[in-house]
Amino acid sequence: MALRAAVLRHVRVAVQTRGLESNPWFPSGSIRLMSSHDDHLTKEEVADRVLSVIKSFPKVDPSRVTPEVHFQKDLGLDSLDNVEIVMALEEEFKLEIPDKEADKIDSCNLAIEYIHNHPTVQLI
Amino acid sequence: MSVATATYLVRRAAQKERVRILYRRALKDTLNWAVHRHLFYEDADLLRARFETNKHVEDPDTIDRMIADGEVQYNKWRHPDPYIVPWAPGGSKFTRNPAPPEGIEIVYNYGREDND
Repeated sequence: MALRAAVLRHVRVAVQTRGLESNPWFPSGSIRLMSSHDDHLTKEEVADRVLSVIKSFPKVDPSRVTPEVHFQKDLGLDSLDNVEIVMALEEEFKLEIPDKEADKIDSCNLAIEYIHNHPTVQLI
Repeated sequence: MSVATATYLVRRAAQKERVRILYRRALKDTLNWAVHRHLFYEDADLLRARFETNKHVEDPDTIDRMIADGEVQYNKWRHPDPYIVPWAPGGSKFTRNPAPPEGIEIVYNYGREDND
């Protein structure tokens, strides 16, 4: 026991300052988000995720999807398909979009704008 | 009846919006009842087929009646315990941890006093 204490007193382990504090993907404890409304995605991440959701829609041709595409005019979708896409976006970002707002989301632009300005968009 | 007057178009547009909102709510309800994804996809296809069969109807009165019927059916089949996103009004985490006001922060000094 005394030998162990003596050894431990002489052994020094280098303490590495972890550079993860500034990385928003791995908050290591010094940044603690106190509420679910603090996390915020950048617009490119939102746009990437929105485009990947739209590209994986079975009725959509993935090569024609751009960030400015209009669901009914450019992609030739139905209004009911529009509703389905908005529901898929709700599930992807874990949002709850009120019915009146969801009706107005007609194009990729509007979707990205709305999701970016929504307070509770989640990272996962 | 198919004269393209302004009132007719406005009425048709309002009906289309009602149909879209009804389809959205019915789809969410289908997801509430059929929790597993493969069951949900089949039920969603059936629901879509039911909407598609009435797609071509032109007469506004018939459409109104059909929308009223659809809403009655939707109200009959509403799930008693729907899934609500936690951060949404009605969810479990709604206003649970509101953002603290500006300028307030926690000082991590682990109990060290000022005169230590």
